[in-house]
Amino acid sequence: MPNKKILIVDDDPDVLQGMHVRLKANQYDICLAVDTFSGVAEARRSAPDLILLDLGLPAGGGFLVMERLKMIPSLAIIPVIVVSARDGLGNQKRAFDAGAKAFLQKPVDDNQLLAVIRQALGEPATAKKPTLHDQGAV
Amino acid sequence: MTRPPQASSNLSVYLSHELRNALACIHQFGNILVDGLAGELSGEQREYVSIMLENASKIRSVLDSALDGVPGTPEECANKIKNVSKLET
Repeated sequence: MPNKKILIVDDDPDVLQGMHVRLKANQYDICLAVDTFSGVAEARRSAPDLILLDLGLPAGGGFLVMERLKMIPSLAIIPVIVVSARDGLGNQKRAFDAGAKAFLQKPVDDNQLLAVIRQALGEPATAKKPTLHDQGAV
Repeated sequence: MTRPPQASSNLSVYLSHELRNALACIHQFGNILVDGLAGELSGEQREYVSIMLENASKIRSVLDSALDGVPGTPEECANKIKNVSKLET
């Protein structure tokens, strides 16, 4: 069975690299975009199974990306998980209203991120490798 | 001199956003190291990265308690941070 493909849209190259390493290690294929325009363009080009979307992006922002995706039937069905450093007070509701499957505030626990991704992709929850988070160290 | 309320609110939003992005990277790469995704660590190396992650989590607690959803002045934010720091120690 081919790996599921995840598009990560974030303007912070360090965040992109960190997520890339973590998700690749969990057998996902990854494609990347750094702004609003390239986020939509990459979604059209690579047709990912899921999108991890930051809100604070150059040239529009994550909400604009979701708006554009909704206008394209083949992309409107891709589940979007918002991963943002913005506070969840107003942004979470706005993200859900815009069609997001989940809203995660940075910094995100890796196991939580993977669990939400698996759920959004309809994958079974698998046994996870314990991290320091599980051991109460962080 | 006091800042106007909107400027204070913007400051706390800005601080929260920037610190959370930086913390996200510390957590991500720290856990990548601990989980051996960049090669196995020695016991001592693992201990040091664990200390780094513990302290990153303390900063996160301060952020959660002091900045988010607080449309307060920088002085109020500073007081909250002091209070959280006392709880942490």
